Amino acid sequence: MKVTIADYGVGNLHSVKKAFEKNGAAVRVAADMKDLLNSDCIVFPGVGAFDSTMGKLLCYKEDIKERLLSGVPALGICIGAQILFDSSEEGSSAGIGAFGGRIVKLSAERIPHMGWNTVTTADRLMDGINRREFYFAHSYRGSADNPNNIIGTTEYGGETFPSFFRVANTYGTQFHPEKSSVSGLALIKNFIAFAEENA
Amino acid sequence: MLTKRIIPCLDVKNGKVVKGVNFLGLKDVGSPPDMAEEYSNDGADEITFLDIAASLEYRQTTLDLVSETAKRVFVPLTVGGGIRSADEMRDALNAGADKVSVNSAAITNPKMISESAERFGRQCVVIAIDVKKVGKGWEVLSHGGTRATGLDAIEWAKRAEDLGAGEILLTSMDADGVKNGYDIAVTAAIADEVNIPVIASGGCGKLEDFYEVFTQTNVSAALAASVFHYKQFTVMQVKEYLKDKGVPVR
Repeated sequence: MKVTIADYGVGNLHSVKKAFEKNGAAVRVAADMKDLLNSDCIVFPGVGAFDSTMGKLLCYKEDIKERLLSGVPALGICIGAQILFDSSEEGSSAGIGAFGGRIVKLSAERIPHMGWNTVTTADRLMDGINRREFYFAHSYRGSADNPNNIIGTTEYGGETFPSFFRVANTYGTQFHPEKSSVSGLALIKNFIAFAEENA
Repeated sequence: MLTKRIIPCLDVKNGKVVKGVNFLGLKDVGSPPDMAEEYSNDGADEITFLDIAASLEYRQTTLDLVSETAKRVFVPLTVGGGIRSADEMRDALNAGADKVSVNSAAITNPKMISESAERFGRQCVVIAIDVKKVGKGWEVLSHGGTRATGLDAIEWAKRAEDLGAGEILLTSMDADGVKNGYDIAVTAAIADEVNIPVIASGGCGKLEDFYEVFTQTNVSAALAASVFHYKQFTVMQVKEYLKDKGVPVR
């Protein structure tokens, strides 16, 4: 199995690439979004703003959505998870729409929500991970239409918000596993094992 | 709960990490990639890499060094020092920085803050502010603390937030390098006035200084350099100490 990282052309993918390689995955970086349609496993990295990230994806959005809903393993990180929703308060572009719902602004007084915070979840991607603090850097978050798509939550500024999502075999993390030290690398390792089972 | 961050800072000059007192009298203490990896393994929540020479002829060399450093750590890396435009910010991000800190250029050209926030997202725009006590308030200094700007520190911090800064890295020039504790007064004042995260910097000399800044101000993070470089204590020891005292840390 090869992991394909989407290069939207708006930011650096080094950290996510090296985190997958550190866990032994074969990685391909795709600058042409058409390449996502024949991938065994897709990663949507967390760089850029909503509209700039969707720029190159827009013309393939229906095909990508169909591919995700048909069960190809995928992981969206931060903005890469947000663009999997239908739309966002941050921009005017349409999202991929694989996760039903909208991206809304955090209600906390001090934003961005920046730093290490706890993710509460019972999902298998956290198996074997004792320290559940992960790195966050965001001002917006997903609001899923179907509560069953929310698999983990985080507390910040008096609000408990969904921080971990799953639809079919597509995971979305509002946090950055690739910047979350030992715990984050372990989550990526678990995701690779999950993707291999489901590829 | 969001934890308080401990951030070791690498002041880099001519490819080496250096440390001085009140920005002067520099000594070499190690190589940036080695030290960043060591701190990251020891529980650092983030690493800050500041190119304090920031001379034009070494710009590419510095980006190469940032890239070497980024390859070795799996925690966020903030890069700063002499960044003059949104394009230079992009170069630092492409080299592997997760956030970029801007100081003097943001003072000369505040529009750069909004332009960078729009292009890269405000979470990667850090505005570094060096301040000094003047009369009843604090004045912003630029160019590594060598030039008075006439700007009031609190007003400038609020303006930077309005323009799109995602975080403020606040250094007290009065406290920096003298290891007498963070400057509580200015740190508390600025952290109360803005609604973005503030990182306290300058003056850390003992474990109690971290406790003091986290309990007496609303800062999100504390940055320190020499206490870690000279192995006075490790990041892990700071975390254990704070945890015992009830401060939330990772």
